[in-house]
Amino acid sequence: MPEEKFNFTKAYKEIEEINEWFQGEDIDLDEALKKYEKGMELIAKCKERLKEAENKFEEIKKKYSIGE
Amino acid sequence: MKINQSLEVEPIIEEKVFSVSEFFDFLNEILVPQRVIVQGEIGEKMNNYPRYSFFNLLDKDGSILKCFVWREVIETLGIDIEPGMEIRVIGYPEIRKNRGELNFQVERIELLGEGILKRQFEILKKKLEALGYFSPEIKKPIPKFCENIGLITSRVGRGALKDFLTHLGNFGFRIFFYETKVEGGFALNEILEAINWFNQNMPKLDVLVLTRGGGDWESLRPFNSEEIVKAISASKIPIITGIGHEDDTTLADLVADLRTSTPTDAAKILNKNWELAKVNIPKIEINLSTSLRKTFEIIKKKIIFYGSNLTVKVQKEIGLKQQGLKSLWKNLGLRFQNYFKEFEFLEKEFKKNYLKIKKLVKDQKIKIKEFLEDLIKNKNQWQGKINKILKQQEEKLFLCSPYLKLKQGYTITKDESGKIIKDPTRLKISQEILTKFYKGQIVSKIKKIEK
Repeated sequence: MPEEKFNFTKAYKEIEEINEWFQGEDIDLDEALKKYEKGMELIAKCKERLKEAENKFEEIKKKYSIGE
Repeated sequence: MKINQSLEVEPIIEEKVFSVSEFFDFLNEILVPQRVIVQGEIGEKMNNYPRYSFFNLLDKDGSILKCFVWREVIETLGIDIEPGMEIRVIGYPEIRKNRGELNFQVERIELLGEGILKRQFEILKKKLEALGYFSPEIKKPIPKFCENIGLITSRVGRGALKDFLTHLGNFGFRIFFYETKVEGGFALNEILEAINWFNQNMPKLDVLVLTRGGGDWESLRPFNSEEIVKAISASKIPIITGIGHEDDTTLADLVADLRTSTPTDAAKILNKNWELAKVNIPKIEINLSTSLRKTFEIIKKKIIFYGSNLTVKVQKEIGLKQQGLKSLWKNLGLRFQNYFKEFEFLEKEFKKNYLKIKKLVKDQKIKIKEFLEDLIKNKNQWQGKINKILKQQEEKLFLCSPYLKLKQGYTITKDESGKIIKDPTRLKISQEILTKFYKGQIVSKIKKIEK
């Protein structure tokens, strides 16, 4: 199985957390800028991942049987 | 594995002569790899031993198949087999050399008839439930965004594969399809193999989807077996089932980490979070920008507020300090003024008194001086005068002396306390009195008092 470097689940969770953080009170400006930057970076990656959306289909049994 | 395919016995080329044993070995080599399903009725004669059983499988025409089964194979059924039962046996034929007879090695038994299958289902369900296989705590979590999916289903049949694939959205899924039968006597083994294969070879898959279309009790049999429950439970990869239609709950559904009702439903559930993400991510993107702008604004407002607040505070503070200083000055001035006034007053008083005293002293000095001068001047005159006065006084004194009176014959009478008696009425009869004469004295007792 090819290794996926970018983990969508993790990225999405982080985006949600950042979004939630921004809903809080007493926001520190430095932290806000950092989080915003990180959030935008992750959003861009997630959008990119959602774009390349073709499903890939592979049959195991055939490959497996050939090896026999 | 080549399953249930027709036998292809090679023609014997040479005229080979077998010993009996060799011949049975030759036959068994052909027979044993075969997996077949045989249906029949269990005969009257059953030999049950603690670890295994022998029974005959009968056909209507009187054909008999001798069967050998391990006890554990019967136990997985949940129900004991009895003579007269119609069953299917799955296994392989083998010739027992010491008896010269064909024996069927039973690997699995399938019960027949909806009634008995339902009973079996209930019994197994109870048993496995008691063993904790269906408890929610042991279910493995399904990742929120599944990307790599192991798919276990049949290519043919009621279109489970097609249904699943068509309803799976284009979210970049990677589907690894392992084809298995989903009904019939061989289905269970193939499904168990598939689950095992994925766990061995692709342990990093996000999820396994075990799916098939709906069917009757008999066709769902593989999904109602103890073996499949144990295999799903043992899988390290979480498993989603999508078996049959909504009202068919199989044991596989009960043990699955997530149960969906159909292949379509399974696909939709896998889509769901991706679809949400596709909608949510642009929303969050806008949200973040708005939030950041808001943060800027809040901070800007805060800075302005703090700034003005600071000025007001400082001004107030300065005002207070100034007031304090002023009152301090005033206070000090007042005090000094008072001191000065007091001092002036004291000074004046002092001056006044000083002058008075000075005058007094001066006067006194003059008087003393005059007196002294006078005294010196008139010394002789004063002396004579004084001497004369003194002599006169001496004479006066002499004439007044009581002794002179005593000498003239007067007496003085005193009471016991020495007090001179001038009025006798204060005395008492018999009281002693002292009478002094010019020369000597007497003590007498009063006899009579006259006024």
